[in-house]
Amino acid sequence: MAETAHPSTASAAPPLRRAPKPLSLLRRRWRKFRALKRGWYSFLILTGAYALSFFLPVLVNSRALIVKCDGRYYFPAVGKFHEAKAFGQRLVGEADYRKLKRQFEEEGRGNWVILPPYPYHPHESLLTDPELPGNPPHPPSRRHWMGTDDRGRDVFARLLYGFQISITFGIAVVGLSYLIGMAIGACLGYFGGRIDLYGQRLVEIWSNLPFLYIIMIIGSLMKPDMSILIAILAIFSWISISFYMRGEFYREKSKDYAAAAISQGESNLSVMFRHLLPNGLTPVISFAPFSLVGAISSLVALDFLGFGLRPPTPSWGELVNQGLQNIFKWHLVVFPLGAMFATLLLVVFIGEAIREAFDPKSHSRLR
Amino acid sequence: MAAYFARRLLLMIPTFLGVTVIVFAITRFVPGGPIEQIIVRMQMGGGRGESAGGAGVETSVAIPEAVKEELKKHFHFDKPIWRAYLLWLGDLLSLNLGKSYTYGLPVLELIAERFPVSIYFGLIGYLLAYLVCIPLGIAKAIKHGSAFDFASSALVFIGYSIPGWALGAVLLVLFGGGSFWNVFPLGGFRSASWEQLNLFEKVIDQLHHTILPVFCYALGGFATLTILTKNSLMENLGQDYIRTAFAKGLSERRVIFVHALRNSLIPICTGLGHAIGLIMAGSYLIEKVFNIDGIGYLGFTSINERDFTVVMGILVFNTLLILLGNILSDVLYVLTDPRIRFQ
Repeated sequence: MAETAHPSTASAAPPLRRAPKPLSLLRRRWRKFRALKRGWYSFLILTGAYALSFFLPVLVNSRALIVKCDGRYYFPAVGKFHEAKAFGQRLVGEADYRKLKRQFEEEGRGNWVILPPYPYHPHESLLTDPELPGNPPHPPSRRHWMGTDDRGRDVFARLLYGFQISITFGIAVVGLSYLIGMAIGACLGYFGGRIDLYGQRLVEIWSNLPFLYIIMIIGSLMKPDMSILIAILAIFSWISISFYMRGEFYREKSKDYAAAAISQGESNLSVMFRHLLPNGLTPVISFAPFSLVGAISSLVALDFLGFGLRPPTPSWGELVNQGLQNIFKWHLVVFPLGAMFATLLLVVFIGEAIREAFDPKSHSRLR
Repeated sequence: MAAYFARRLLLMIPTFLGVTVIVFAITRFVPGGPIEQIIVRMQMGGGRGESAGGAGVETSVAIPEAVKEELKKHFHFDKPIWRAYLLWLGDLLSLNLGKSYTYGLPVLELIAERFPVSIYFGLIGYLLAYLVCIPLGIAKAIKHGSAFDFASSALVFIGYSIPGWALGAVLLVLFGGGSFWNVFPLGGFRSASWEQLNLFEKVIDQLHHTILPVFCYALGGFATLTILTKNSLMENLGQDYIRTAFAKGLSERRVIFVHALRNSLIPICTGLGHAIGLIMAGSYLIEKVFNIDGIGYLGFTSINERDFTVVMGILVFNTLLILLGNILSDVLYVLTDPRIRFQ
């Protein structure tokens, strides 16, 4: 009781408010994280951008948001596919909404089209676009902020959709690989003995497999889709976290609270998950952002080498590869790598702040 | 101690076998292997000959079964996988890595030819990284919390956020004579006219081709090495023996550079062993960006060509280097830290 411990202060001031409940460790760390401005703002920017990227279909899309045609309203961007004939266009397949907009304006019959702010789709080839003369890749222009790629697709649109794919991919790889690594590391550290001895040997073999090499071999034989690529990458990147988990479990298991839980007859699973895991989570959380950096740059590298996601998935690495094949098309190299750099830098700032908040190493120095 | 390292060397064997078995199995089970590749090539060759003869129709030439059998026999595809692996292992023990069917040369010769190129760039790159990172790390530790520390940290973050090959791609576009400045060549190990150059021109030419790739190699370890140096020195500066040294009245310079620094370089020294595998293996990303014909690029092209004899050869080479590098790390550990006694 704070009041009884300090009667003098209590009597001097009107009834003292009760001492606030001590914050939980996690809450304290969260506060510390928020106090580290660089990391906190990076976190806000990155999560904001990622959240915004889910609205890309209405922000960056060749389909119109709203079409008013002869008294009826259509919502192609979020709704269903409309044939060109539905709006009286003489085209086969889907309507061309940019053309439709001009057409309606010329007609002046009260029909109108609202296009998304950036009216190009990442998969859309603009080779037949009358506003883009010459051969692709086109240099950046007022309409196409970052130019087009070698198939005449808008680079800026591909870049933005690629951002969402990269982050989703990275988070999935980190999540899956941490799940595998934590489970294996926890078992090795908890059970120890023979399991640990043989397990370590197997982990050593696994860690010496040249993982990009194997992904390249597999990728050269079949074009893996996103979930397979995530699984392959995760299967080869769980090793470092399993080492940390093994160490944590090994140390925590020898502590008294673990012995108490075991002697109360709790099952192995219960001891591992309810007692040891919460105490061994620090390295997991503080390493995750840096693993995310690794996962995203692996994806870009694989796409660059041609072993990544299936075309026509918008990808940063594929653009870079195109750019290096034609050294005069600087915009195909500089913009995607700039986007990757900015994204990774934000993640690194977040990671640095998380590490600082979770694992504060105060170095005491003389002088 | 000798017994410990003898055991470590022996433990290399199961790891080595494990790695090669897994990759061997993958190369066997995946479709589109070397036999299919050769058959496709033969068919394409036949088709081209025919169209040149005026037929103009793409016909696929039927490959006689006997030839297919011959090919299968040559690549040991007619045997069960474990026998094929044992045969491969037997060849390996007699130092026969087989022959590449894309280059028509023995794999050993291919590797020996490209090895010096990879090691040239890798070694210079790592040396450069060590030369920059250790002094930088020391300076950051001594001036911890200062404006210099803060500014150089920004550099470290940037270095961590940009992979070496990505920087290489940007540098090539900027300085390779595309849309901006024409300062450096577009990669490669040396100019095509290398033989005609005199000694001075050779030196200039080699430097010209070296600067950009080496910069990218150095960037690879820049961030982690700098931070490692800094943290290691900071940790040592907080220790009791440093307090004692100060209490004896030694100068700050002597305490930091003689007492603390020697101990704090131990982790960096032992990292050297791990780096050796990386240096020698070459980075196929950087080699691909700069069109450097090294080990990494050889591995990349042979995977594309399904030339699995070369792939396995490079795998053997890289795995041995990495495993030996790990042991070398332990040796360095013993040499630099007299407290360590491996049992």
